[in-house]
Amino acid sequence: MMRTATTWWAVVLLLLSALSLASSLGAGSQGWEWPWQMQAVGDAVQAQIMWDIRLPRSLGAWLAGALLGLSGAVAQGLFRNPLADPYLLGSASGASLGVSAYMGAWGGSLTATGLATRFGMTGAAFAGAVLAVLLTLILARGVHQTLRLLLAGVVVGVVLGAVTSLATLLHPEALLAMQGFLLGSTAFVGWSASATMALALLLCMVLALVMARVLDALALGESTARSLGMPLGTARVVLIAVLSLATGAAVAQTGLIAFVGLAAPHAVRSRVHITHAGLLFLSALMGGLLLLAADLLARSAVPAQELPVGVFTSVLGGVYLLWRMRVTHHGKHS
Amino acid sequence: MSSSQLLAIQAKDLCVSLGGREVLHRMNLEVSAGQWTCVVGPNGAGKSTLLKALAGLISAQGQVHWLGVDVRQIERRERARQLSWLGQGEVAMLDLRVCDAVMLGRLPHQDWLAAPRAHDHAMVQAALEATQAWAWRDRTLGELSGGERQRVLLARAMAGNAALMLMDEPLANLDPPHQVDWLEQVHCLRAQGTTVVSVLHEIGMALHADRIVVMQSGRVVHAGAASDAQTHHAIELVFNERVRIVPLQGQWVVLPNMQGNRA
Amino acid sequence: MRKHGSWWLAVSMALCMLQAQAVTVQDDAHQSVEIKTPVRRVVSLLPSLTETVCALGACDRLVGVDRYSNWPASVQALPKLGGGIDPSIEAVVAQRPDLVLMAGSTRGAERLQALGVTVLRLEPRTRADVQRVLFTVAMALGLPTTTAQRTWQELLSGVDQSVAQLMPQARAQRAYVEVSPAPYGASESSFIGENLLRMGVTNILPAAMGPFPKVNPEFVVRAQPDVIIAGDSSRQSMLLRPGWPQLKALQEDRICVFPQEQADILVRAGPRMAEGARLMVECLNRAAAKVSKERR
Repeated sequence: MMRTATTWWAVVLLLLSALSLASSLGAGSQGWEWPWQMQAVGDAVQAQIMWDIRLPRSLGAWLAGALLGLSGAVAQGLFRNPLADPYLLGSASGASLGVSAYMGAWGGSLTATGLATRFGMTGAAFAGAVLAVLLTLILARGVHQTLRLLLAGVVVGVVLGAVTSLATLLHPEALLAMQGFLLGSTAFVGWSASATMALALLLCMVLALVMARVLDALALGESTARSLGMPLGTARVVLIAVLSLATGAAVAQTGLIAFVGLAAPHAVRSRVHITHAGLLFLSALMGGLLLLAADLLARSAVPAQELPVGVFTSVLGGVYLLWRMRVTHHGKHS
Repeated sequence: MSSSQLLAIQAKDLCVSLGGREVLHRMNLEVSAGQWTCVVGPNGAGKSTLLKALAGLISAQGQVHWLGVDVRQIERRERARQLSWLGQGEVAMLDLRVCDAVMLGRLPHQDWLAAPRAHDHAMVQAALEATQAWAWRDRTLGELSGGERQRVLLARAMAGNAALMLMDEPLANLDPPHQVDWLEQVHCLRAQGTTVVSVLHEIGMALHADRIVVMQSGRVVHAGAASDAQTHHAIELVFNERVRIVPLQGQWVVLPNMQGNRA
Repeated sequence: MRKHGSWWLAVSMALCMLQAQAVTVQDDAHQSVEIKTPVRRVVSLLPSLTETVCALGACDRLVGVDRYSNWPASVQALPKLGGGIDPSIEAVVAQRPDLVLMAGSTRGAERLQALGVTVLRLEPRTRADVQRVLFTVAMALGLPTTTAQRTWQELLSGVDQSVAQLMPQARAQRAYVEVSPAPYGASESSFIGENLLRMGVTNILPAAMGPFPKVNPEFVVRAQPDVIIAGDSSRQSMLLRPGWPQLKALQEDRICVFPQEQADILVRAGPRMAEGARLMVECLNRAAAKVSKERR
């Protein structure tokens, strides 16, 4: 019965995503227009705009959302906390630091600039995210104590954030660009970026699904999970790797996008009660749909100017969680 | 008769330190197979720690043997198949459905990526029916009351069909009729040959066990039959004579010993 | 027979020249960028680069600019393609540019390059930068080096003329130039600072701070500059900074606050650098005059 519930929801989410993807072909700098109207023009440049700019961008938005949704579900299951989000091990601050280091290196010494060009901003952001998680692991002295991991994640996040601010002060011309990164945008996602994210999503999904049983067992408590023979140490290492890989890949391409990772698993759990195998999968699909929808809004709300998608996800996510709080509150008192 | 074969659990020179402090001091303990043993004692005596050490869930110095085999030599999944653990107050995610929660008890018997088989479903059903929770199998844990949830968790522990059952405060949140149900459950398990070890605060319930281990400050003060007068005396002592154990209608009951009534 | 021979030669040479050729220039990251000539459609996403293109006489080749480019006036009619940091990729591609000029460290450049657009990343900050950018852009646009040389000479002589206008007593002043209200200042290593140096005026921000450092307001209070040069947007925030209302430059009204148009001229490292130098000289002269009036 559970299998059919998961399948049914998967189909629904994929259908909605496909619809949004199709309509996104029309959302562009001239406001929203019907895709077949555009095709009729037959211009090579228009074709390039639709297939090389809008389509990979929307696909990238879906993939980034899926990566964030998956990491959110993993984080909430691993830390047994429904308020966990994918950035809780410091990966957001690490990525920001990577980006500001990249901007500082640019125009600096020859070797620094050469290194920066080779890595690109995406490489720098990804490296920063992964290194921050490694730092958290070192500070927490391993994966065995959840509370220590959380605290170390907070410490790393705050410290790296301060270092980023310092770096930005030293290279003030990078400030505007940093703000662009921090607000999140899919404007620069192309086919190769989408391919990278797709690969990352596949890898992370497989690894996470293999460990789904451990997450289920953890829901009953740590000692219960251990008594059921679950390899907690190995599972934690694998799942934290999944977290950092997925978050790093998403943040590197689209910047910091808030709330999608937090809200997607909640949205799934509010509709259907399933074990982690289905939850991880559906959270990814839900995250993809959420970010794609937000991106569409961000691109077409004010046609000439694009609003940063991170602003939309924060507003929409915040409103959604407020509504959930009201519903739960009323439910408890009814 | 080889005594080790009758010993379901044996602890030798068991020492456990938590946070730099020694909680269990060189404990020696023997639990016979097919019997129900209860661990009682005042707060802070180390009862939960002892139970976790016997279950192999925390690292300890000294030796713990299950049916004559050192726990550390038993492979993780095999350990999970031999012992079922019911802890206290650890459930975090209440979105889990009852049937899924109980199915988790079958994890040690399932292949890693395999779906539950018919046998697993049968065991889950049996466990839920035994705890009178079958009617709620599609509800989530969050929709149940504390006591109802406790019964589901007990079903989870029973679904594993392990030879050893270790339970830490299993009567939490249970009202008297369900406490009696639990008692009947344990007698049933014992009849099937399962070894049950429980930590109980309710002395009155504990007195229905076969053996009682009385603990204080990380040491075993007394271990003996539950109907033994010496055991009763040890219990009264360890609680500073604030309780009295008296016979009533063929059972033992615990009476409070109010101030100024020192008999 | 000879007539036909030389005619053929002329035609084949012309054909050779008409064939798509490429020119290789170096961008800010010291990377070689190959630009296919002729370059007829240019997009510029940095105001100083827009002004450079127009100063070289190639204004008619511009098909799109960023939202901050506003000089010369003809540029304001061109489609606005977003900011320098966040250009609309789609809008840029829709203009079918042969060349895009933009600042260095942004992701937009990478994305446009991935789409097959030729991007030249330049961001001038010092006088040497201005010269290099002028020559690089000229070469990229296929203009003869002489055009760039002439423009550069005009620029230099313009600055020198302004320097000559500086009154001797103005030279003895110590100046602080603020380029944005955060506050960000112009140090000795920026083009503004270098021009001040040519004038013989001391800059309170040393070169070690980088060309456009973020300044601690306390630093300025301690340095007590004789003259402050700033843009209009700084005026309000200046009085709110601790210790600033008591600055001797503010008390003696030796401060020049330029309206937005003139502030643009001042802070853009481009062909209007001479104009900017002139504005600074006028300000310094006015400030010096105030002092001598008081001393009388």
